[in-house]
Amino acid sequence: MKLHQKGFLLVEISKATSIWDSDLITRALKEYGLNGSYWVNSLRVALDELAAAGLIVRIGSRLDDGKEIAPGALLFHWRLSEFGRTRMRDTGLLNYP
Amino acid sequence: MTSYVLNQAISQHHARNQRWGFTWAIWTAILWGAWYVPGTALWYEHPYVDIAADQQSLRLGATAVMTWIHAITVMLFLLLWNGVLGKVRDYGRTIVRFRKISKWYALASLCGGPMAIFGSYMAMGFVGPVFAAITSLFYPVVGAVIATLWYKEKISRRAAFGMSIIIMGGVVIYGPGLFGEMDITNNNAWLGYVGGIMSAIGWGAEGAVAARAMDVTDPDVGIQCRFSFEILFWGLLILPVLALFTDLPIWSLIVATVTGGKAMLWIFLAAACHAYCYTAFYKSFSLIGVGRGEAVGNLYAVFALIFIAMFTLQLPQWYFLVGLVLTVLGSFVMFAEPAESIAQLRDHGPVEEGA
Repeated sequence: MKLHQKGFLLVEISKATSIWDSDLITRALKEYGLNGSYWVNSLRVALDELAAAGLIVRIGSRLDDGKEIAPGALLFHWRLSEFGRTRMRDTGLLNYP
Repeated sequence: MTSYVLNQAISQHHARNQRWGFTWAIWTAILWGAWYVPGTALWYEHPYVDIAADQQSLRLGATAVMTWIHAITVMLFLLLWNGVLGKVRDYGRTIVRFRKISKWYALASLCGGPMAIFGSYMAMGFVGPVFAAITSLFYPVVGAVIATLWYKEKISRRAAFGMSIIIMGGVVIYGPGLFGEMDITNNNAWLGYVGGIMSAIGWGAEGAVAARAMDVTDPDVGIQCRFSFEILFWGLLILPVLALFTDLPIWSLIVATVTGGKAMLWIFLAAACHAYCYTAFYKSFSLIGVGRGEAVGNLYAVFALIFIAMFTLQLPQWYFLVGLVLTVLGSFVMFAEPAESIAQLRDHGPVEEGA
């Protein structure tokens, strides 16, 4: 069985030193066979929730020039926080294959 | 110029998240308040109307039965919600990870269900409904304290001030009724006081415990997990124990409720309110935090009286207006908090590196 979506996002962030949300969303859409703006926004909300909880930290931001999600869309560059690493360890996500 | 536009976009992004968080919390309060109408009406239908007020053990048994059937109906509404949102598969993926993740939803369901609801009914039965309502109003304090101590949720002075005003407003709304309810000659009143404490701790702890799992899961999915576990606790543990080890007519109460059209109609309406009230509740936690979400949810005190007045055509007392002003004021104090300060809800450093 696949990992739940928020878990998948965390695992992908933890594998990289840092990652742009547009890349993360592309990977998540492919993993779950989804498409369309509803799922893009749903995944962006999930990333906002992870940031609000302190699991991921924003290390950069820029406006989309139209090549990623949509022209003028706000894009964030994320990395896992130390607290996020601890929480992933607690929930068995850090060593997920 | 680019930097200015970018900063503006980030600022609007935080403001939008804050607005959504408070909007979900206000929907929690509206639906929670509306829930009291069908929730109370249910007690006026067969088989519950046939139970005398002094038959405390039978009333508690009946409460367990109605809570279980109610939880099953809530589950159906949540399935509909997550079905429309396309999250049913994610529910399956989340609930199976019990040992590390969904166990926290199981614990949250114990806090919110058997502990808080049962405690609230004890407070109603052994002291009175006004006392039960007032003790429940203090649950955000418990939630905020647990969230702060356990995982360092940030509660700013402004947020704490807003919470205090909302709680004061609730006390003003229900407080005067308390004097007509307290009876110092009642020897069993201590059971009601224990029940009141159970409800405040239970509901307060539920948010903090659920947030532990919501850190890594979706709130829409989380609430469905929480109700799945509540159904199991009542259906596989509490009700069978009551049926086997007491002489309470649990089975006949279940049959009478399910076959009684009017009782089921009220349960259906109550469950619709409760399902989406809880969904909004959990969604607010992940955007504005447990403390703020629970405090704004406390506005249910106002909405409950408004809905009850609409359906019974009995206007509330004058002090309701004072309480209303206080609770609304408290909400504005909290909402006026800078959006950036709640973009990161916990003391684990800022949301943006270098900020």
